[in-house]
Amino acid sequence: MTNQHTGRRRFLAGLGAAGTTALLGGCVTSTSSGKSSSKGAVTLQSNLSAPQAKAAMEDIIAAYGKKGSGSASLNTVASETFRTQLPTYLTSANPPDVYTWYPGSVADAYAKKNLLLDLDEVWTSSPDLKRYSKALNSLCTASSGKKVFVPTTYYWWGMFYRKSNFAKWGVSEPKSWDDFLDLCDKLKSKGVAPIGLGAGGNTAWVASAWFDYLDIRINGAEYHRQLLAGKHRFDDPEVRKVFDRWQEVLPFFDPNGAAVPFQDATTALLNGRSGMMLIGTFFADAAPKNALDDIDFFRFPVIDAKVPLAEEAPTDGYFASARTGRRDHVFDLMRYLATPEAQEIYIKGSSGTVLPCNPDAKDAGTALVTKGRKHIEAAAEITQFFNRDSSDALQPTADTALTKFLAKPKSIGGILTDWQRDAEKIWNA
Amino acid sequence: MAVLTAPERKSPAPPSPRGRRTGGPRRTPPLVLAFVLVPLLVEALWVFWPALQGFYLALTRWDGVSAPRFIGLDNFREMAHDDVFRSAAGHTVLWLVLFGGLSALLGLAAALLLQQERRGVGFYRAALFLPVVFSLVATALVWQAIYQPDGVLNQLLESVGLGSLRHAWLADQDTALYAVIVPALWRQIGYVMVLYLAGLKGIDPALYEAAKVDGASAWQRLRHVTLPQLRSVNAVVLSVIVIDSLRSFDVVWSLTRGGPYHSSELLSTYMYSTAFQSLRLGYGSALAVVIFVLAFGVICSYLVRAFREAD
Repeated sequence: MTNQHTGRRRFLAGLGAAGTTALLGGCVTSTSSGKSSSKGAVTLQSNLSAPQAKAAMEDIIAAYGKKGSGSASLNTVASETFRTQLPTYLTSANPPDVYTWYPGSVADAYAKKNLLLDLDEVWTSSPDLKRYSKALNSLCTASSGKKVFVPTTYYWWGMFYRKSNFAKWGVSEPKSWDDFLDLCDKLKSKGVAPIGLGAGGNTAWVASAWFDYLDIRINGAEYHRQLLAGKHRFDDPEVRKVFDRWQEVLPFFDPNGAAVPFQDATTALLNGRSGMMLIGTFFADAAPKNALDDIDFFRFPVIDAKVPLAEEAPTDGYFASARTGRRDHVFDLMRYLATPEAQEIYIKGSSGTVLPCNPDAKDAGTALVTKGRKHIEAAAEITQFFNRDSSDALQPTADTALTKFLAKPKSIGGILTDWQRDAEKIWNA
Repeated sequence: MAVLTAPERKSPAPPSPRGRRTGGPRRTPPLVLAFVLVPLLVEALWVFWPALQGFYLALTRWDGVSAPRFIGLDNFREMAHDDVFRSAAGHTVLWLVLFGGLSALLGLAAALLLQQERRGVGFYRAALFLPVVFSLVATALVWQAIYQPDGVLNQLLESVGLGSLRHAWLADQDTALYAVIVPALWRQIGYVMVLYLAGLKGIDPALYEAAKVDGASAWQRLRHVTLPQLRSVNAVVLSVIVIDSLRSFDVVWSLTRGGPYHSSELLSTYMYSTAFQSLRLGYGSALAVVIFVLAFGVICSYLVRAFREAD
């Protein structure tokens, strides 16, 4: 009996102590300026939680450990948790060292707040990074002029379709916007929904691909980036032109396009219920193996030949916390991640539809991937994707505006006014 | 549940043998003090302190990374002109009325229907209570499949010749909110039923016998015996419903995320998306304060009235 008492008392005292610690360390609004410890393995916080990608990351970490120059430990977090927690990680007193994330404006936003480690030394000392393309160089440079990111892989967006279905329907890849409209017409007459979308469920962001592509085809990549950075307005006539063009193809969209998530929309594409779909290669991760060889894609049709050709090719890679205490170890890991070896391990372990950033690294070698690499190399400009070229905070404003446009294309004027108002709140936040 | 079935307070309590009341102030044993103070401290650290910080954040502009900037009542001023806030508040009221009203009515009806001990009644009670056991997120996944354009509901409509009613239930602004209420209701009815069943068990059968002897009809017995006797349970049910309505989040978030274009937005989902998607944590905190004031206000005013009546 007495034992139980002291046990409970001790437990309560323990709770109290734990609570006090939480108070001391838990002031949520404070920005602390500690450094993470300088001993032990470099910690890599990863949002690649899909089984294949996670296994591929584990392979990379194991291979890095075997090399002997250092060791790293992988901590995989569910991607939604990772996204919401990233600011907390970066501002915490004892942050993880290296993170999977996106280059460009997303990384720059953190760099501006001095949360990212300056990686200039990695870029100048790594023979691999010296061979990276100029586009990747500028993508990884923050507005301060410092390198803050090491890119490793990218994927591309395109109009995907099944070769066997196009053959069955007697249609072929369109070369121009008018060809594209003809193709849609033909498919519709055959009782197929010409264009699948998949902006329902929890994947409303897929619709942004259409906005991005129409904007970079009509107004160009430079205008697009400026628009997303708040230097133009969403209710400008240039943006209105994007939606006028969109209205030409809107009748050809799958009527369920805004009701089903992209996973269901790609199933419909593979089953031949829809003709084609503007989507990223990640959809192939879930495609049955026998369908993979039958999948092909074409370039989003050029609308204005005077606009420099741009493509969406979201790049993935790593940045590091400015508060890391293992600076040299982080640099060593970053240099390793940029090698062809590390990128080939990842491509082999994952679904194999991504392309390596290192020009010397081999891709998966399938016809689809080879075509994808050429597709990107032909582009004069590369954009990332709506949220990566702006911020995750701006994405919901696009989701609201675009789903509303899909449902009520007639009220586009009011939609764009609202979009501008919502976006200003984010830009001014 | 046992707590709810104790309306017999009115009978005079047996006099305490040690007469603590009349014994004058006594030193409280330190152990008792510890049992009160330690949980209070824990509660203060993990509940009150963050809550107070939430109130402070409501007066700031904060992106979660830089230091918060004090802006006074600007967040609340912005709210006054925010269309989305206004429609979310409207939806929350609609939700409170439909979800709250229907779950109370149907829960009471189910309890009345299932209170008699008949053969098989346990099965029906269990069946109605079963949804409460499931996590709402899992429930939402099942309902998502039902509402799909090719889902069970549309196929059912087709098979009974109502194909013209086929619908993208969750993607249409006119139906999204109602389509989300149904799964929430499906779960809540079982919960409210159990509360009322417990209350019904506590009613003295002698009251019904007396009413029967006086020639009261079934309706009169319900109106004049059952309902007044359920008053204490009503207080609990009302609190539960108001709180559950205002914090309804999981089912909406997993089915529609407040969309399409805010047409099923509740205050709770708007708060979440403002704070954690738009990263406007100051404005999100201000929304949370409004939700708190609403819930607290409704419940307090009811409790004050209930206690006044009890005296």
